[in-house]
Amino acid sequence: MTQQKPLELILARNLMSALSTPAFLVDEGGVLVFYNEAAGALLGKRFEELGTVGAEEWGSLFGPFDRDGEPIPYDELPLVIAVRNGRPAHADFEISSADGARHQVEISAFPILTAHGSQGAIAVLWPASSNGNGALS
Amino acid sequence: MKVKLWGTRGSIPSPGPETIRYGGNTSCVGVTLADGSMLALDAGTGIRSLGLALAAEPARLHILLTHLHLDHIQGLVFFAPAFQAQTEIVIWGPSSPEASLRDRIARYISAPLSPVEVRELPCDVSFRHCPQTEWEIGSARIRAASVAHRGPTLGYRIEDGDSSLAYIPDHEPALGADLDALEEDWISGLGLARDASLLIHDGQYSDAEYPDHLGWGHSSLSHAISFARRSGAERTVLFHHDPMHSDEQLDQLAAEASERWLALGADPAAIELAVERAEYDLAVPAPSAISAS
Repeated sequence: MTQQKPLELILARNLMSALSTPAFLVDEGGVLVFYNEAAGALLGKRFEELGTVGAEEWGSLFGPFDRDGEPIPYDELPLVIAVRNGRPAHADFEISSADGARHQVEISAFPILTAHGSQGAIAVLWPASSNGNGALS
Repeated sequence: MKVKLWGTRGSIPSPGPETIRYGGNTSCVGVTLADGSMLALDAGTGIRSLGLALAAEPARLHILLTHLHLDHIQGLVFFAPAFQAQTEIVIWGPSSPEASLRDRIARYISAPLSPVEVRELPCDVSFRHCPQTEWEIGSARIRAASVAHRGPTLGYRIEDGDSSLAYIPDHEPALGADLDALEEDWISGLGLARDASLLIHDGQYSDAEYPDHLGWGHSSLSHAISFARRSGAERTVLFHHDPMHSDEQLDQLAAEASERWLALGADPAAIELAVERAEYDLAVPAPSAISAS
């Protein structure tokens, strides 16, 4: 029997599922537990194809790369800062989709804090090629 | 474990000739554990009748509140044991970053809404935030978990011997979710209800009514049926009836629920609508309604 997810993660996933803005969700341990269809379109791979990805592993799946094309260390990713330090973080960088295409994105991440402590973090991506509504054009 | 429904209505008491069979009192379920310990699940107006039934007995009892909406606490100041000095009452409920459970309940049990203050209650009353982990009351193991509703809201699972009761009276697990497609660990409340002997679950709206109440924190009949099916509960009682639903309308919902349960290949007698004062003995392997008197 699998452990039920905390309600805050369930509600976050339900909200993200309805958004056309790419969004990612990690649990309190930093495990990537969901990303939405918009994020799947950006990455070239649906979450259902990839499945849950452990902490430290997902950070290198799609880059990301800094302005000089160098990989960004896992510890410096906004989503990691949010879940580890319990504070919001923002950055812009490039990611690589499954077909090898590069996308310039901005990313904002914030922790999911509850009365019982941190339950995880959410990251929202803003692609440079978005149509102004956050959705990919 | 024996269970008795003292209030089955949601939102607001709805007494009258059109609600006489299913009842008009708001949420309250009495639970008698195998060792004789007494629990009250929620303290809607139904708890007044529960209190009268207990009045002759010196009591130590636990009230487990799912949340603090008025239809779940309104009966507290009319609960006779609260006015008996020999009674010890422990009130459990959800925590909130805003204020303690006692302070939040005291907003209701204080002027001008109430003629008495919490500190004036003659009984020995204490307030406890439900822990994140399982705890024991009498012979039972209790588990509480947050569920999808408006504001901090809990569902409960009570296990006593081989029987288990899941109580999730205010619940909208289908908000932004497809209950038939989601993985089990992503469905609000399912961990509480899994394989329960008896599931008491929100069934406030018909499918036709639900679109006008999206996000209000309650389930449609279809959502309640989907949740019950996914849970694997042996028996399901649909609860928290809409105050606008007459007995005749609830009869129709009950018939629809049974037909759809049958269509799923299940025993249509294993799903029913909550009737005030109905009793269930969960020690019996297949729980069955004993009476509605």
